[in-house]
Amino acid sequence: MSRLHDMGGRYGDGPIPVPRNKNNQVENSEPTFKHEWHAKAWAITLAAGALGEWNLDVSRHYRECLPPKDYMNYSYYEKWLAGLTNLLVDKKLVSIEELKKFISLVQEDNSTEDLNENVKLDKRTWLAKDVQKTLGWGGPSLRKTDITPIHKIGDNVITLKYNPNENVIGGHTRLPSYAMGCEGKIFSYNGTHVFPDKNAHGIGENPLPLYTVEFKASELWGLAAENGNDKIYLDLWEPYLKIKA
Amino acid sequence: MNSNNDHNLHQSQGHKKDDAHSHLPSDPELRVKAIETLLLSKGLIDSKTLDELIDTYENRIGPQNGAKVIAKAWVDENYKKRLLDDATAAIRELSYQGRQGENMVVVENTADIHNVVVCTLCSCYPWPVLGIPPTWYKSDEYRSRTVREPRKVLSEFGLNIDPKIEIKVWDSTAELRYLVLPIRPDGTENMSEEQLAELVTRNSMIGTGLPENSK
Repeated sequence: MSRLHDMGGRYGDGPIPVPRNKNNQVENSEPTFKHEWHAKAWAITLAAGALGEWNLDVSRHYRECLPPKDYMNYSYYEKWLAGLTNLLVDKKLVSIEELKKFISLVQEDNSTEDLNENVKLDKRTWLAKDVQKTLGWGGPSLRKTDITPIHKIGDNVITLKYNPNENVIGGHTRLPSYAMGCEGKIFSYNGTHVFPDKNAHGIGENPLPLYTVEFKASELWGLAAENGNDKIYLDLWEPYLKIKA
Repeated sequence: MNSNNDHNLHQSQGHKKDDAHSHLPSDPELRVKAIETLLLSKGLIDSKTLDELIDTYENRIGPQNGAKVIAKAWVDENYKKRLLDDATAAIRELSYQGRQGENMVVVENTADIHNVVVCTLCSCYPWPVLGIPPTWYKSDEYRSRTVREPRKVLSEFGLNIDPKIEIKVWDSTAELRYLVLPIRPDGTENMSEEQLAELVTRNSMIGTGLPENSK
């Protein structure tokens, strides 16, 4: 049912890789990007996204759809690069032949500089002068609709016990497996937001009511809960929830 | 839920072995270079845009922004009220806004409650106030364990939470972005807002640390 990215609650992971300084104190200010290629992979992904051929939910789903073996072997920005590569080809921004050609060029250490001279920018290309404006606006997911939310604050609800995506088998969803089939309480209502289960598959934004739902640790983890009074909060769309009978 | 549309379902199987990404070279630096030069040659990205993006998040947007928000909330009760009431608007008062911070929520630590933020499904993080997430925040270990054993996770950051204090874990499963308002350290009554901002660590705004003590 689930994919590897859906790892909340999983057993087997070791200690958190907490960076420490020389005095063994927790380091709070490591570099933004550890390697130059991290910065590049990140920035290229943002710039390619700005071409407007896909949305954030699509790019998340592409990373999630990497074969499990690759997903586990890749480091964080390698997942970004692999997801981006598949998107670029699927959305026909580059062909597989072009991709292979450039892979050969860089592997043979051939200069690619002259290939990038006198290039005419595509009209969709994100320009440096627009970067601050675009970042400042961001990509809000809140939409004004006339939808009345079904649930009220304090209502008891139960989450679905399976992937709620009703359009695509194994499709994108933001209901994590660890909170499926569990009882929670509506903590707050956040308005109607773009619904990732549809938006990730190019079938429209379909904004729907989004709630923050409170779960007791004992409900999610049973006897394994560290402290039954601790709470876990998830932001969940209305189709993920049923009214508790 | 409509269960009558099963015939409309199609499979999202994931990518097969011969997918585009499987052609990429094993050295990640070469992977980036191949994709970068290809997109540059097609005019689909501009190197000046990449430079501007990297410079912005290396030098202008980072936890120093969030620290100013927290310090202001510590000295100004009215601002704190606005921050807890409508965090997006209150943070915008300091000109921090936009990408990955479009809908901000601030959660307050008290004598009885300790908050900690995670994204189990990916790496959602409030960029306008904290910048790009640190490696540990994006790690499988943090993503998998924080919702199930937050106390053990926090102890690995040197933070031992009294069993009487309730822990609230916020899993960022939608586009709301969470910022923790830590408790103002004792003995800081005479400090200015600027001095207080220096005490606010990045981890204290995620919930995996505390502000530094006044010296």
